[in-house]
Amino acid sequence: MPAVVAIAALLVCPLVLAHGGQATLGAPTVLAVSGVLPAPPAGVAELRFNEMFQRPVGPKGLEPSARLLALDGLLVRLVGYMASAESPTPGRLILSPLPIALSDEDEPLADDLPAQAIFVHLSGPAAAHTLPNYSGLIQLQGRLSVGASEEPDGHLSSVRLMLDEQASQQLLPPASPRRLR
Amino acid sequence: MPSLSEYLHHGSALAAKSLLLALTLGATLAAQAAPTISRLTPPSNPRLATATTLARFLPGQKFDLQATVQPSAGTRITRVRFAVDDQPVADLQHDGSATDQFGGETSLVKNGLVKDLAGGTVVASLRAYANSQPGLHWLSVTATDSRGDTSTRQGSFEVVPIQTGQGQVAKNIIILLGDGMGASHRTAARIMAKGYLQGMTQDRLAMDKFPVTGMVMTSSLNSIVTDSAPGMASYVNGNKAANNQEGVFPDDTVSAFDNPRIEYLSEYLHRLRGSALGLVTTSDVFDATPAANAVHTASRGMGTGIVDQYLDDRHLTGLKVLMGGGRKWFLPNPGSADKRQAVNGSQRRDASDYTLPPDLVAGWKASPGKLDSGRDLIADFQAAGFAYASDRAVLDRLGTPDKLLGLFAYSNMNVAFDKINGRRGKSSVVADYGFPDQPMLDEMTASALKVLAKDNAKGFVLMVEGASIDKQSHLMDTDRWLLETLEFDRAVELARDFATTHPDTLVIVTADHECAGAAIIGSATVSEAVLRSRAATTAEMRDKVVGVYEAARFPEYTMLADGYPASTDIDRKMLIGYGANADRYEAWVSNPQPTRDEQQPFADQAPLNSYPASPAQRNNTTGYLVTGQVPGSQAAHTATDVPLSAFGRGAMLFTGLYDNTDVFFKLGQVLLGGVK
Repeated sequence: MPAVVAIAALLVCPLVLAHGGQATLGAPTVLAVSGVLPAPPAGVAELRFNEMFQRPVGPKGLEPSARLLALDGLLVRLVGYMASAESPTPGRLILSPLPIALSDEDEPLADDLPAQAIFVHLSGPAAAHTLPNYSGLIQLQGRLSVGASEEPDGHLSSVRLMLDEQASQQLLPPASPRRLR
Repeated sequence: MPSLSEYLHHGSALAAKSLLLALTLGATLAAQAAPTISRLTPPSNPRLATATTLARFLPGQKFDLQATVQPSAGTRITRVRFAVDDQPVADLQHDGSATDQFGGETSLVKNGLVKDLAGGTVVASLRAYANSQPGLHWLSVTATDSRGDTSTRQGSFEVVPIQTGQGQVAKNIIILLGDGMGASHRTAARIMAKGYLQGMTQDRLAMDKFPVTGMVMTSSLNSIVTDSAPGMASYVNGNKAANNQEGVFPDDTVSAFDNPRIEYLSEYLHRLRGSALGLVTTSDVFDATPAANAVHTASRGMGTGIVDQYLDDRHLTGLKVLMGGGRKWFLPNPGSADKRQAVNGSQRRDASDYTLPPDLVAGWKASPGKLDSGRDLIADFQAAGFAYASDRAVLDRLGTPDKLLGLFAYSNMNVAFDKINGRRGKSSVVADYGFPDQPMLDEMTASALKVLAKDNAKGFVLMVEGASIDKQSHLMDTDRWLLETLEFDRAVELARDFATTHPDTLVIVTADHECAGAAIIGSATVSEAVLRSRAATTAEMRDKVVGVYEAARFPEYTMLADGYPASTDIDRKMLIGYGANADRYEAWVSNPQPTRDEQQPFADQAPLNSYPASPAQRNNTTGYLVTGQVPGSQAAHTATDVPLSAFGRGAMLFTGLYDNTDVFFKLGQVLLGGVK
């Protein structure tokens, strides 16, 4: 009987072995991306990382696209990788076009984070939680916020995705399966 | 005699400890009322008489004197006097107010102090002191309180003499720093790039061919295991520093930029003879290794202030060349002014910016600084005569300007592994970052040398850093740090060529510390195809793969004309273990960054054709668990000694085993007195 429970637990809560010491999980099923996605719901725009800024980056700073500025304050869907963090900020995650590991080792601000990475802000009760490091592509839906803003970890974000309470709740790891006595 | 105040703490423990001390040491102590001198800078070895002197300086090298004085209960500090060899050098009278006092290059600071100090504590400073008399010197500070009681604390420092008339001096110094590059990193790079047969290496790395190699002890002021901040600073100012601190001693104020300074080699030489400074790195330019040649800060993370001071204090360092990543610090952050402007990716913040107190400005002639996150630092560099290169094509077009600023990435530059695969058309990672045309470290070094050699009557100091040897070692990404080391060695070769045609040049290749305890444990006993088919278990992926002793034989990599291996995923590849590892899953294959996987049926359809593709992760490439020896997710630095290789004028001084601080005095001898 315990063996059956153990196998069932593995199916419900897949543990992906990945580089690095911190336990990483596959993202909650509702957020994981493994194939072509259906069109986003009405009122939600599809936004891709390569549409946000002029690419390649010019000689100076990032140049936001007209599309990025037009979507400011509107609902968007984004797909990317959660940057894995050693000391994550509660209620925040960084969504990156490439899988990146951030660390407290040496100098956190001399990092390998792509310039287009965006800061995702959770809301509601979920905002008090520190998220585990999810591996793999995930999709997130929220309200876009464009403009420079200071983050608690010392970064200045240029673009943010503000998640409502329900979307924030979806990011929390699934509760562990109940043990049968 | 050892300072009594060393054993005393402030506040409530003072009385008990004084009494105990009087009983145990038989020392005379005025009733509990004397002030406590809890810190005297420069710091001294507590075992003064027979111990190694800690603080050492070249003749005339500037440094700050500082003392933290805490009054006992019911008193206040009225006077602080510094003396060197019993000669008074500063006499500071407390004006009785709560306001900080500044007088020329002296100060009595009462505000902005760290927590847990007694009320009324003062930090007394004399900035930019210098002493040209060779030999040991006694430093003392005497504090007087409102009851008339005094305390004195003694320390020592040494002025290291230059032997004159020893031979020709060097005019130029090139320091090539492989961050985290220990002996294992060098050996592994040699095995990969040159190949071993019958136990003999078939050729050597450029750094292997230097005539002199010594060993360097790398520990910091506060630990056997250093980081890159003191790891660099000690080489170029002759003194130990605490981890995370650059060119300063610790203090008791909260501000990161007001710490007691030690003059850098670049500043000292520029002051003495107008020499120039060049800094080339593959990291974000604010990072510790480049910064600890030119900027003084107690906190290596203060990016805005660090990059500002590169420019603002170029009159002190002679900065002529600055190249690397880190463009994010140079872009104006105009706040909420203009939405379009505010999304440029700037990381400038007032919280990481600098302003200096008046005594530092007066003593060091340093720029006072300003909290100006809206500053357009690229424009300011250009206005100061720096030509600006944003990518390799521009760098080539610029030719040989008088001064050069290169900012090739937003934060750290992409690593050689990814840059080379980008150039070979095998990877889009560098393009995905948005900076597709990043130069290699040797290309940057070549440009730097051209600029510094132009109108070079006064000589130069050039520091070239292979920064991501360390960063990729932290990630235990074997393939990437190996190629970083090869890229670094190509820069070493250019430096050697320069020193050959400019014989008044000394070149040293070294490391700030070793990273990750890298170890060449053997080779795979199987082909790459078999390796990739193995299950991710210890039995399958370790026991049936890792060939030790004679099973390792000689791994053979194919090197291409661009100087890098065709692939690191070869049959019977070299295997690296990590002694300072964090938990990792070892699959012995190079970590793919996501590429557009042509095999995926939907790869060319929206929306996935614009998304990053899933990494090619099958279960068996995630590897078997290797339990880490250190907590956290990344491998750590180690305290192991590192090799230093030297070429050119004065190279013979670098044999033997010595401290990283000793290197500074060897450089001083080569530059000022010559070597026989």
